[in-house]
Amino acid sequence: MNRSTARSQGQLGSLIVSAMFVLAGAVTLYDTLSYTDRDSRVFPQTVAIILIVCASISFIMRFIKPTGEGGFGQGIWWRRVLLISTMVLTCLVMPIVGFLPAGIIAFAGGLIAAMHDRWTLPNILIYWGAGGIIMLVFYTLFKFVLNVPLP
Amino acid sequence: MLKRIIFSAAMAIAMVSAVSVATAAKLTGPVSYIIPFGPGGESDISARFQQPFFKEKFGQDMVISYQPGGGGAVGWASLNGLNGNGQTIMGVNLPHIIIKPAQKDVGFTTEDLNTFYMFHYTPDAIVVTADSPYKTLADLVADAKANPGEVTMSGSGKASANHLAQIKFDKLAGTVTTYVPFKGTGAAVTALLGKQTKAEWGYTTVGAKQGDAVRMLAVAMEERHPLFPDVPTFKELGYDMTGGAYRGIALPNSADEATKKLWSDMIGEINNDPAFRQQMLDGGFAMLDVDADGMADFMKARIEEYLNDAREAGLIK
Amino acid sequence: MELDQFLAAITPLNFALALFGVLAGTIVGSIPGLTATMALAVLVPVTFAMEPASALILLGAIYTGAIYGGAYAAILLNTPGTPSAIATTFDGYPMAKRGDGDLAVALACFASVFGGMVGALALLFLAPPLSKVALAFGPIEYFWLSVFGLSLIASLSNGNLMKGLAGGAFGMLLSTVGVAEVSADIRLTFGSQTLIGGFGVVGALIGLYCIPVLIDLVAVPGRHLKVEENVKAVRIGDAFRLALQSKFNLVRSSVIGTLIGILPGAGGSVAGLVAYSEAKRTAKPHQKFGEGEAGGIMATESANSATVGGGFIPTLVLGIPGTPPDAIVLGALLVQGVRTGPAMFTQSGSIVYTFIYGLLIATILMLPTGLLIGRYAYKSIVTIPKAVLVPTVGFMTIIGTFSIRNSVSDVIIMLCLGVFGWVVAQFGFAASPIVLGLILGPIAEQGFVQGWIIGDATNNLFGMFFGRPISQGILAFTLITLILPIFLARKKSKLNVELES
Repeated sequence: MNRSTARSQGQLGSLIVSAMFVLAGAVTLYDTLSYTDRDSRVFPQTVAIILIVCASISFIMRFIKPTGEGGFGQGIWWRRVLLISTMVLTCLVMPIVGFLPAGIIAFAGGLIAAMHDRWTLPNILIYWGAGGIIMLVFYTLFKFVLNVPLP
Repeated sequence: MLKRIIFSAAMAIAMVSAVSVATAAKLTGPVSYIIPFGPGGESDISARFQQPFFKEKFGQDMVISYQPGGGGAVGWASLNGLNGNGQTIMGVNLPHIIIKPAQKDVGFTTEDLNTFYMFHYTPDAIVVTADSPYKTLADLVADAKANPGEVTMSGSGKASANHLAQIKFDKLAGTVTTYVPFKGTGAAVTALLGKQTKAEWGYTTVGAKQGDAVRMLAVAMEERHPLFPDVPTFKELGYDMTGGAYRGIALPNSADEATKKLWSDMIGEINNDPAFRQQMLDGGFAMLDVDADGMADFMKARIEEYLNDAREAGLIK
Repeated sequence: MELDQFLAAITPLNFALALFGVLAGTIVGSIPGLTATMALAVLVPVTFAMEPASALILLGAIYTGAIYGGAYAAILLNTPGTPSAIATTFDGYPMAKRGDGDLAVALACFASVFGGMVGALALLFLAPPLSKVALAFGPIEYFWLSVFGLSLIASLSNGNLMKGLAGGAFGMLLSTVGVAEVSADIRLTFGSQTLIGGFGVVGALIGLYCIPVLIDLVAVPGRHLKVEENVKAVRIGDAFRLALQSKFNLVRSSVIGTLIGILPGAGGSVAGLVAYSEAKRTAKPHQKFGEGEAGGIMATESANSATVGGGFIPTLVLGIPGTPPDAIVLGALLVQGVRTGPAMFTQSGSIVYTFIYGLLIATILMLPTGLLIGRYAYKSIVTIPKAVLVPTVGFMTIIGTFSIRNSVSDVIIMLCLGVFGWVVAQFGFAASPIVLGLILGPIAEQGFVQGWIIGDATNNLFGMFFGRPISQGILAFTLITLILPIFLARKKSKLNVELES
């Protein structure tokens, strides 16, 4: 029981995240060494020390008293990954293919990722049609009303 | 007779085509004018002044947008990636575009920026509140000499025009004052009005905006500003300093010469409009007319001056 | 004289402009990434052709509407549409999740109208004396104000103070990335050009709040928000009753909002956070803040709406804009030839008063329009199938983040922050402390550094940090906020022990 708690996702993940914050503080301290101005050093150094202390305490407390608390919980991983990866992909191809075509990638990714119902023909038509209209409306609003230079 | 008609028609066609070649660069729609700072600063206000004149003279809308970040560096680093067809321009500021790249790698160099016009500057000025014990510059200098370091002066940012002016003046006057950097002129003025600091290194625009609430002790101009005939220049008082923050406009460097010429002419035309000049002067700005042809010489002189000042001040190596 | 300006404000044209402004502003505010600043910047040239007063009414109405509109996304999607609505998410989203989203939207509307009225009335009657508040706040006061705001972390960290503090500190470090605002050093960019501009607040908000919601939404089937079976309309009656019950909360929060609005260095987000913190501190035992407490929404929304009127006080009286939208309005005034600054109320008084009346009218118009739009916003969010909602919101986050600085890298940074925020949240590091650090970090840093320089120069560091009356007041409130809950908890557990024995 105790061993399984100590190795649970929540326990390990919490330790890793805490350690990551300690590392971030250490990296900041290292970075501040290169600043030329005392005024720009004092704040990040102070905050980095606070971060290291707090994150270390939460690391140690968790290490002493392992619990299974935390973790990624239920949920379907491919959907999460699909959602984010299509959004990232959109950003990467946006400068090349333009905003709208790139936007379709993210929209399609999000739609497929969030589609838990069965695909039926009316569903497909309505959802994709609605998606097209929404994208066009936003595109027009930003590009022509607000004059945002979308690629 | 017929020959003559044909000849003149041919001439006309030739002339028309010649003209059309010369004006190959023209605007095809609304122009995007990017200010690499947030709204409310001097760059924004002067752009807003230009906006209606541009529409009136050239028939196209001028759309101002803000792209703040990194003290302007985000905007300037992105400028050359924008389309150089003349539909996009960006405000540039001195000394920012000279000092920043000299300090560290900020993603652009001074030479990268295709500046085509410098249209005004805001002369440095020492500002105090109306009820300040410093009636004249001499009062301030005397206090600073008697109590080294205790005269606090707010200003906008470090390694900025204000900061350089403070360092330069300290050197000229042989005083030690303490410079307190704030986020933008607005915050520096607020600190002055709230008496958090004893004086402010600002611009003549502060005097114009705050009116009776403040008093300017001296301005860094060759001659007195028409709006403030009673405020002496530093030169009159024996301190050889003129200058301030210069503002201009740049195109992406992919823009061709014709486009650059067109823009230089257009901004020059606005700058020569008496109504525009009056509005700018009333706002405390000082006019400047450096067009595309004169830019290289102007920039060369400024680069030398600012880098020298910054090096002496220890802001760059 | 006064009546003239009031009549000038309600000409059919001005009335129509106010209505249009509120409508457009609400929609703009409700879309994360679309800010009031952007909408105003685009509209300024349109106003050149108008009478100065009409132009101002239009701009002011948009600003008012946008601050309220930010609440929709905060309540229904856990994503503040504007930074002002950050604290609205704390209770608004839990309320929506348990099926009270309609109630939350109506509450936000009542609170916003109330707060907006208080702010506008303060602007109308008390502007010159209140403008002194802006001047009384020096660097040190800003520093302590931000510390007070950060003390809210203690109650936002879901029982794990160390994790909350670590998150807050991490947020503050994020805020230092890029070119330092006042000292001009380049920090924590590791040579990357992308990071020179730092983490924009709006993009970070979208990333840290919205992306985790989307990730959670797609992972499991089922509805986004719980819906009562018979949703008819926004529950105006219930909301009104609740608002009446907490009138003291509304008044206090509106006054806080007005005062903080006056401070040029703070703004709606800080006002909302401080008002929330105060509402929570003075809560009755049965009120559970952070779990869908109506008082939390009302505190935040009344405070952030009050900052609109409050923010115009230094803008109009001192010529010092408090927020970016104020700065744009100020620019528009200058182009119109209106002299701002101390002379404005005397020289251009009629325009100014017409504008203030216009702002009041716009605030009142927000009541019907806000409830109406709120009803549609709520209905559409709950009825749209998840498969359309998620990609629509996802698309909005991309286009919204892009348009803040026209930068694709900002979108990528936003997504990275979002994934990071989601992962750390699974292990007890909540997003809100990070956001608090990100927003309050720069205020704290600048105040501290400036205060230190001034104190050092005048050889009075201790007096600078602890000797000024306003600082002492804020410090006292901070200590009470931090210590009182611990003290009360002790007392309570002691009581329980005694009862058991």
